[in-house]
Amino acid sequence: MSLLSRLAGLLKIHRLERDVEDELRAHLEMRTRDNLAAGMSPEEARYDAKRRFGNSTLVKEDTRAMDIVGWIETTGQNLRYAARMLRRTPGFTLVAILTLALGIGANVAIFTVVHAVLLDPLPFPHPEELVRVYDDLRTSNTHDVGMSVPELWDMRDKSGVFQDICVIFPTDGNITGGDHPERVEALGTNANYFTMLGVRAELGRTYVPADALPGFSEPVVISDAYWRRAFGADPKVLGTKIRLDGDLYTVAGVMPPGFRHPGRTLDADVDLWATTGFAAPPFPAPVVRAVRLLPGVMGRLKPGLTVSQAQAQLDNFVAQLTRQFPDEYPAAAGWSIRLVPTQEDVVGNVRTELFVLFAAVGFVLLIVCVNLANLLLARSASRQREMAIRLAVGAGRGRLIVQLLTESVLLVAISGAAALLTVFTLKNSLLRLAPADLPRLNDVSLSPGVLLFAFFISILTGLLFGLAPALQTARADQTTALREGSRGAGSSKHQLQFSRFLVASEIALSLVLLIGAGLLFRSFWQLLEVRPGFDPHHVTTAKIWLAVPNDPQNDPYFTIEKRAAFHQEILRRISALPGVEQAAIGSPPSAPMDGKPRQSPFLIEGRASNLEHIPVAETASVTPAYFSVLKTALIAGRFFTDDDNAKGQQVVLIDETLAHRYWPNSDSDALGQRLQMAAGRRSEMAASPLFTIVGVVGNIKSDGFDAASAPHIYRAVYQAPPYGAVVYLRTTADPGLLGEAVRGEVQHVDPTIPVFDVRTMDFIVSAFLAERRFALELLGIFAGVALLLASIGIYGVMTYTFSRRTNEIGIRIAMGAQRSDILRLAVGEGTMTVALGVVAGLAGAAVMTRFLRSLLFGVKATDPLTYAAIAGLLTAVTLLACLVPAHRATRVDPLIALRHD
Amino acid sequence: MAKPKSDVLQGTLALLVLKTLERGAMHGYGITLHIQRVSSEVLRVEEGSLYPALHRMEQGGWISAEWGASENNRRARYYQLTAKGWKQLAEEEKNWARLSAAVASVLQFAQ
Repeated sequence: MSLLSRLAGLLKIHRLERDVEDELRAHLEMRTRDNLAAGMSPEEARYDAKRRFGNSTLVKEDTRAMDIVGWIETTGQNLRYAARMLRRTPGFTLVAILTLALGIGANVAIFTVVHAVLLDPLPFPHPEELVRVYDDLRTSNTHDVGMSVPELWDMRDKSGVFQDICVIFPTDGNITGGDHPERVEALGTNANYFTMLGVRAELGRTYVPADALPGFSEPVVISDAYWRRAFGADPKVLGTKIRLDGDLYTVAGVMPPGFRHPGRTLDADVDLWATTGFAAPPFPAPVVRAVRLLPGVMGRLKPGLTVSQAQAQLDNFVAQLTRQFPDEYPAAAGWSIRLVPTQEDVVGNVRTELFVLFAAVGFVLLIVCVNLANLLLARSASRQREMAIRLAVGAGRGRLIVQLLTESVLLVAISGAAALLTVFTLKNSLLRLAPADLPRLNDVSLSPGVLLFAFFISILTGLLFGLAPALQTARADQTTALREGSRGAGSSKHQLQFSRFLVASEIALSLVLLIGAGLLFRSFWQLLEVRPGFDPHHVTTAKIWLAVPNDPQNDPYFTIEKRAAFHQEILRRISALPGVEQAAIGSPPSAPMDGKPRQSPFLIEGRASNLEHIPVAETASVTPAYFSVLKTALIAGRFFTDDDNAKGQQVVLIDETLAHRYWPNSDSDALGQRLQMAAGRRSEMAASPLFTIVGVVGNIKSDGFDAASAPHIYRAVYQAPPYGAVVYLRTTADPGLLGEAVRGEVQHVDPTIPVFDVRTMDFIVSAFLAERRFALELLGIFAGVALLLASIGIYGVMTYTFSRRTNEIGIRIAMGAQRSDILRLAVGEGTMTVALGVVAGLAGAAVMTRFLRSLLFGVKATDPLTYAAIAGLLTAVTLLACLVPAHRATRVDPLIALRHD
Repeated sequence: MAKPKSDVLQGTLALLVLKTLERGAMHGYGITLHIQRVSSEVLRVEEGSLYPALHRMEQGGWISAEWGASENNRRARYYQLTAKGWKQLAEEEKNWARLSAAVASVLQFAQ
């Protein structure tokens, strides 16, 4: 029995129960009254009435059982009849179940992801109060510039909007003391991080107020995954000392398996949480308002405060701070604070893609419904005689409609079950198709919400495709149906028009989907056409991390010279590795399409006097061969050399974007000009050294194919050596083996330094495109299915139309009509339907594709070429689908056709 | 407990109910009273079998039920014959006539 009828049964049974009780009570009362009239005492009267009844509960149950038995018998009859009908037309049943299962399955699959990613609230108490706090410099359109420690304190103590506010500082960590140094994903936070989120440790504890120190405190908390990986899930892990970036810490707690940091990290899920006040070494102390070293901040708003209310209060607060510290906050910079709900922040731009996909599967299901409705209509025509007879002998129309709906519900129940089963057996394979960095992917599961959705969408589907044909059939005019029925064919003109209308709507729906997929495809094509400014083929990258101990005394790489010497030695060694043509090293932001860019404001010497907008550029430091390894062109001047070190002149390279913006006449005008770079405070900027531009290089699309080219400034690694570094190797050697070789060389120089994330640049680029490709592929598949279904639909209707008109065609041929005349007739009729569908579809697409806009690149949502091409394709395919049956109809022998009656 | 003699014979309850309803719509209590009175108190309908039987016949489509007001304005469920029920009644009456005639001839033969 389907869930639907079971649900109806429950409601009905409840009502029946009350009815039976009322009925029996009425009986008892009447008997008691008569007994009284017969002279019994009231007590006797009641007793006698009850005694005659015997066990009243039993009577009640028996009576009720009769009702239910009857009801089940009717339903069972309907079901048996439905099953028989379905078995009698196995072809139809198979097609119906397959298409339905496909439609429902696709919907359930996408909904499962939508539910986990978008609808399910974050697993924290009052998740709506959690926000990410971003600092922007509005005038230069620079976002997420980071916060300074005094600003954090102001937000915490004086802004009046936060219950709790906490720094989020993702960083590489280097665990030493084991066999190998191991890089971990670490998260530095204030001590209130876990209490702010409202989560507890699974084992041990999180932080206590005593852990809130200016610098790092000793207790750290580890993730469940890291506990299993590094400690073999040892329950006695608490109290274990670990050495992280050279300093000793103690494991104080292990988080539960389901807990994940709700935000972006460097590379992977957080392994280890450490707490600090960010106001003592290794952070600059004493703290300075203008140094925005805190990369991210998360807060919990006061209860009852909406995000927009909090934002308004913060805007006032920021204005007040700007007046109070005019030197730190020059009006020209437009410093502002922006709140983003954490849920939205975690999900990011995936929202649009998922909604587009969700809409697409909705369309597919609609098309499936329309298709089935059509098939059922055609089939019902042949059953009109049966229905007319049943009506004539006194069956109620209601009973007939219920009967026909039972067939639909049975179909949908089978298909829904098949779909659910398929989705959840294939769940893991399906998830592998999704891009790995899809947020909250781990939360995807068969939750009650998903089951409920599957249930409702199945019911809706069953009613949607079953109701119209059922009503149509049961409405059948008895006399004509009987008469038409006797002629063997028979369906009213009205019904045929309705069929055509269904096919036209099917074509319209498919067209919208196809145009959407076409636009995404063109966008992707355009993206691949974009020259990224570097050649990712045959380049392998790896990352290294020099530990940053809390006490500079313990830091062997504290000085620029030490770090520069280290990088130089590493570079010398890896360049000599067999199979390596050329090697380079850069700071983490030098890696294109990987991670967050680093932006710095800068001033050009001699143009600083009148600045409304302080310009910003993305900065990275690189070794001389970086551009050769990436095959990025030198436009003017020279690359870095090994002599661009701490002893030499401070030099920078700029890219074409920056050169064109400030020296529009000629790139070489930039050569010899000087820049200043700083965190944005005017006085600090003035104190910054002058960097001489020695070369102009080609643009590298570091933020992705679809991002506008941002200006870049490159510094020499030997003048600005980073702690974290990316190694680039131009080679055709196997990246896995090469990774080991690089690790060997690095650890030969310093055995405590980890090498991680060994990847080819091709991989990085394709991972960057993965989300888009995923959306494109899925939408493409859905659109293809839609096209197929629409073709089947029109084919079915045309076949049916012509089979019904075999007689007429026979007469026409007998009277001398040519086959081409018949074909023209068929095409004419098909064209009307197709044209109607295409026009409606084009209009629909013009409206619907607006929602795609943020996913498009290099093509407008109303791109005429795409519209025309897709409409042409659809017209061709559907016309072909109606030509085939027409052609077949003309082949018929007029004699047989005439006898077809 | 109940005297077996006065119980309605197995299988005849439906006939008696249908026949009773021939006179018009009636509620359950009314049906028991009618059968008892007309049979001169010989036949007694057990409440415990009457109601399940009524509901079974309703599900079978022989009778239909409707809530109505009883003689003294209480809510009661009134049963009434359907077209199918009329046919059934005729059928059962015929069967009963045949059966009782058959029983009678067996008894006469034995004498």
